[in-house]
Amino acid sequence: MVKHVLKRIGYMLLTLFAVATITFFLMRSIPGDPLASMARNLPEQTKINYYAKYGLDQPLFQQYLIYMKGLLRLDLGESLLYPGRSVVGEIARTSPVSGMVGGIALVIGTLIGVVLGIIAALKKNSWPDYLVMFIAILGATVPVFVLASLMQYIFAVRLGALPASGWGESRHLILPVIVMSFGSIATYARYIKSSMLDTLNQDYVLTARAKGLSEKKVILSHVLRNSLLPAVTIFSGSIVGVFTGAFVIERMFSIPGIGYYYISSINNHDYTMILGTTVFYAALFIIMQLVVDFVYMIIDPRIRIAAD
Amino acid sequence: MKKRKLISIMLAAVMAVSLTACGGGSKSKEGGTTAQAQYVNTYFDSEPTTLDPSLRSDSYSNEILTNVMEGLIRIEQRDGKYEIMPGDAETWEPNEDESVWTFHLGKDRKWSDGEAVTADQYVYSLQRSSDPATGCPNSYFLAAILNYDAISTGEMPVEELGVKALDDYTLEITLKNPMPSFLESTDASIFYPQRQDIVEKYGDQFGTDADKMVYNGPFVVESWTHNSEIKISKNAEYWDKDNVSLDYVDYQILSDVSAVSNAYNSGQLDVLYASSSEEVAQLEADDNNVYTKISGGNITFAFYNTQDKLFSNVNVRKAFTLALDQEEVNEMGFDELREPLYGWIAPAISVDGTSMREVAGNPILEQKKAMEAEGKTAKDYLLEGMKELGLGDDPAALDVTFSLAGTDDWFHTFGEYLQQAYKEALGVEVKIDFSEWGIFSDNLANGNYQIGYMSWGAYFNDPYDMLSLHMSEFNQISTNWSNADYDALVKAGASEPDSEKRMQDYVDAEKILMDNYVVCPFATSVNHLFTKSYVHDKYAEYGEESLYFKHPGWKNVYVTDR
Repeated sequence: MVKHVLKRIGYMLLTLFAVATITFFLMRSIPGDPLASMARNLPEQTKINYYAKYGLDQPLFQQYLIYMKGLLRLDLGESLLYPGRSVVGEIARTSPVSGMVGGIALVIGTLIGVVLGIIAALKKNSWPDYLVMFIAILGATVPVFVLASLMQYIFAVRLGALPASGWGESRHLILPVIVMSFGSIATYARYIKSSMLDTLNQDYVLTARAKGLSEKKVILSHVLRNSLLPAVTIFSGSIVGVFTGAFVIERMFSIPGIGYYYISSINNHDYTMILGTTVFYAALFIIMQLVVDFVYMIIDPRIRIAAD
Repeated sequence: MKKRKLISIMLAAVMAVSLTACGGGSKSKEGGTTAQAQYVNTYFDSEPTTLDPSLRSDSYSNEILTNVMEGLIRIEQRDGKYEIMPGDAETWEPNEDESVWTFHLGKDRKWSDGEAVTADQYVYSLQRSSDPATGCPNSYFLAAILNYDAISTGEMPVEELGVKALDDYTLEITLKNPMPSFLESTDASIFYPQRQDIVEKYGDQFGTDADKMVYNGPFVVESWTHNSEIKISKNAEYWDKDNVSLDYVDYQILSDVSAVSNAYNSGQLDVLYASSSEEVAQLEADDNNVYTKISGGNITFAFYNTQDKLFSNVNVRKAFTLALDQEEVNEMGFDELREPLYGWIAPAISVDGTSMREVAGNPILEQKKAMEAEGKTAKDYLLEGMKELGLGDDPAALDVTFSLAGTDDWFHTFGEYLQQAYKEALGVEVKIDFSEWGIFSDNLANGNYQIGYMSWGAYFNDPYDMLSLHMSEFNQISTNWSNADYDALVKAGASEPDSEKRMQDYVDAEKILMDNYVVCPFATSVNHLFTKSYVHDKYAEYGEESLYFKHPGWKNVYVTDR
């Protein structure tokens, strides 16, 4: 078991190294630099002085070595676009914000989604099923920006009940959370429904029923537990998604999260910021994978045996 | 698509009902804001990079600095005209040939921490910005100052910069050449003073947060929630605080157009810059909005590589220039949000208060008139040019590529329009090359293009700012065009003390540029500003004519009953 864990951590570090290296060289192979975001031809000397300040005048491999050395010390450098802001500091500041909005939305969305999924599966081919599937398809097809704009229009412009955008008070959370949880509701409702239907046809459910267990007991202790297992897989991905933020929603509601920051640093060729966030995401993703594996082992004895 | 919209509206309605149902008596709107609560809520598209005057490069930081810092002067609007108002400097005077400028600082000027504003703080600021080790992206603004060039390459120490504190309250700036418009140029943020003790105390962190800087302007940065909101509030130490009405201004960082529109319509914002002609029409119809149209200093234009085989010929350039219709370009390319432009200098740019366009007329319109008088079309000039180059007489056989510095939808639509317009007028099958700015600018620098498209914003209100881009020694648009008469006229204009003569030099220079068909101006920027009817300006009331090159910030703004 310990050996297994150590092996996984070793692979994880190797993956991170590869991600950092590939991202570094990919970024630099794209034409343009942070000054290009000013979209004008600066006088030569001004450019030279600027490049020198950020070490961009050194040979690429040299820059790579400096970067990797920093990475070992968890120093990801300074943002090129925002002078004086360290990348680590920016990630530490923005990711909890995304984590909070996304976390609340994920919890609410997952709960509602799971409940709706169960209802849909149990009332298959009747109106509750159709209604749930209607909501699920809407959630999957209506673009987030349309939904967000509509919510702002209804609740802020028409009803005047909530602020259209902003950050700092709890009421600012309401609209973005609604919009964001919609996606989770749609995903989980569909997922749980199909997984439930699958489980309901299993032999052990038939056995349970044959034993004379009450329908409630059959559903709760046999069907539900087994149906939730596949949901854990997508849930891990969702947790990463929570921290990586939702670019569109953060942009539309003025939320100082990491998603919007990440996209704007890509647009502005902010090398250090892009590298830092990419490595952060990669690390988060790999760690979540690891956690999911362990969770599987706990809830599903079959996997535990295979690992041993 | 329509169906989807309908469904989503239905869905939202359902959610609205369910939400209000479970909300249980949602709070009523905040009752009774006091009649004249003096504040304005506005927004930025993007987060300001930094407030460090030596490191900032974007327009958002510039707007904040305009409000929280004071420079030597402040250019404002009085009775519809530009007026140079005292800033930290109470009075100033140039020497006889306007190459040495002396500024006398007011003794009551203070920083937000109570320290006095002194001349050596100006010296420190300018030296810091010109120091190559600082890496200041705007340092070339200081190019007019004596010894800047040698300092920027590291050949000379920063102490040699032509800026001296004669005593605590007297600043002397010595220029490389006489420059009558120098005074106006000191309105830029790079000329703001800096406190050495504060810069050194915070080091890299200087200007990155509200509390990591000191301020000497009408406002101070009270809070800065990165990527979300900046709040500036009245500076109690400001020398002219009695003339500042607003208690605070709140900038929300909001880049999504529909989110901005929703925030404005819900009363969360008092200010909106319209981004489509549809939005202009919609907002204009409502009496609660005041519409101010501000003709700006940013122009869009096509330009030719005069070293290219085909475009080295002036008749070919003339044909391509006269082939387009500026009105149509404005409609097809810019949603009529800009104004058609027929010369190189935008109407907003003036010499001693007179717009240069008024004096210089509209060169392209006149050229078109002359063309019609000759009974010719643009295609005739193209055929003449092709003949001179020995390229036969079939325009369709020409190999012409138009380079655009962008790959998004707008550039594709614009490219298609240009293709069609050139084909109709000249019969030329133009190819369009789309690339990111990085590749585009490399291509320009290497002379590896034929026609390009760009936009360029003037930094200060003197035609020199835009005309100098085409001087042989700068070649900043990479047209590789060189004309000794042009260079001489622009240079002469820049150092001419008599404003009428200066205007004439600039007008003559622009004529050379236009008659050589080096560029084809398209349109000039216009800000479509909407404010709620309770927002007012003491000297340039909203809805009336508003000048572009002024920086009063929010200093003169007040609000009446909301």
